[in-house]
Amino acid sequence: MPDKALSFSLADFFFNDSPDVLTPPSDYLSWIQHPKIRAAMQFFGQQFVTAPRSEAEVLDPDGSRRKVINMTSYNYLGLSSHPEVIQAAKEALDRYGLGASGAPLLSGTFDLHVEFARRLAEFKQKEDCLLYSSGLGGNLGAMQGLLRKGDVLIMDERCHKSLIDGGTLSGAKMLFFSHNDMKSLEAMLEKSKGKRVLVAFEGVYSMDGDLANLPEIVRLAENYKAATYIDEAHSTLMFGPNGRGVAEHFGLEEKVGVSFGTLSKSFGGVGGFVCSNAAIINYLKGYSSPWNFSCSPSPPVVAGLMKALEVATRDSTLRDKLWANTAYLKKGLLDLKLNLGGSESQVIPIIIGASGEKLMQFAGEIQRRGLFLQPVDFPAVPADARRFRISVSTQFTKELMDTALNIIEDVIARGLRD
Amino acid sequence: MTKEQIMDVIKKNIVANIEDIDGATIDPAKSMKDYGANSLDMIEVVSTTMRELKIKVPRSELTDINNIEQLADKFMEYVNKDNA
Repeated sequence: MPDKALSFSLADFFFNDSPDVLTPPSDYLSWIQHPKIRAAMQFFGQQFVTAPRSEAEVLDPDGSRRKVINMTSYNYLGLSSHPEVIQAAKEALDRYGLGASGAPLLSGTFDLHVEFARRLAEFKQKEDCLLYSSGLGGNLGAMQGLLRKGDVLIMDERCHKSLIDGGTLSGAKMLFFSHNDMKSLEAMLEKSKGKRVLVAFEGVYSMDGDLANLPEIVRLAENYKAATYIDEAHSTLMFGPNGRGVAEHFGLEEKVGVSFGTLSKSFGGVGGFVCSNAAIINYLKGYSSPWNFSCSPSPPVVAGLMKALEVATRDSTLRDKLWANTAYLKKGLLDLKLNLGGSESQVIPIIIGASGEKLMQFAGEIQRRGLFLQPVDFPAVPADARRFRISVSTQFTKELMDTALNIIEDVIARGLRD
Repeated sequence: MTKEQIMDVIKKNIVANIEDIDGATIDPAKSMKDYGANSLDMIEVVSTTMRELKIKVPRSELTDINNIEQLADKFMEYVNKDNA
């Protein structure tokens, strides 16, 4: 183990043979204390001491504050600290207090929740909507509420953990089709004939930034009479002529059965939402535990989110700026001959390859130079495609992107050539 | 331990973790995916087999494995290493 520490990952310690449940596996303990692993782990869970703007400050281990160019936060449209959003949240805080103090079916439903859910359903062109306190809870709760033992959940192999965990909890059989591979999807639909089937996929894939092949997925699902579920966590408020997401981008909103979104990314707050036909949303209220057994979302957060929806959709200013920044940064990265995978969105991976050592070495150097980009290691991504991931924001200025490109050139582009 | 014995442990765990499969019909040239396993089923088969064989192969070394035969070869390599 000591010599091969970097060959191991969190994927290797899931099963615990320790006789005491409250003791982690012994090999995990020696692995996590290995100097190379401790050095790698120092990148994770760093503390921000400012809002997650593109220019932010983090806390160093010695307690000092360090200015960074932040290209990691999901604050795509800069709404988490937008003045109108903050004002709306402040006013709601004064009026409603901090928490909802109850589950939605009992005392936790406020006029704010009902109004925001109505506006989200209207925005997504669906009949109704359920609001969740977390994005993970929304996906997990939808899977758990919609599917039962004997059903089949077919999902893209790169779907988020929340969909996988929800599928596990539901008892449905889970089949994973090769990423965006329509032959693989068709083979699984063929195998599942005669069963109740849900096909789940993402609008924008979070680690690769590519889009679902929605026209083909919808065609196949229709042929096999399977229901469809799109996770638009990384596409809502950004894709489509009106920002409604990748389904709008392809002009296929009415063909997708369930539209899921998060409220923590482009919206700048926290939470999740599930939109669909009114009857199934009403049914979910009885069977989706993260909804009916959780306290309702915090009222000031909901008020801020409602304002964020209004700001992002009143015109295309924020989206236009996001896509201009994305184009500028992508061109700069491609000029450096970096591998950006198949990115088609504001999520831009810089793929380093199979070397975990190089990934961590680059991470240390770019962070020392003041660029806050996090290493993404196996098993979050394939072992031969370890990477950094840029989340483009409207808050990026040209100067800031040029500085970041210089650091990336000096450390990553040069490091990969040497 | 021989490769045949390792293969027997793998087959036993495939039968235990994947629905509707008969151990006698498992072809080592095929992948578990061919028998309807999803990635979580495969993790379960690999983990239970490694526990029984008392070996620990990093997952990062298993990503290029395409069939049951190659999995048995990889396990054999580690069984030999541990006994050396």
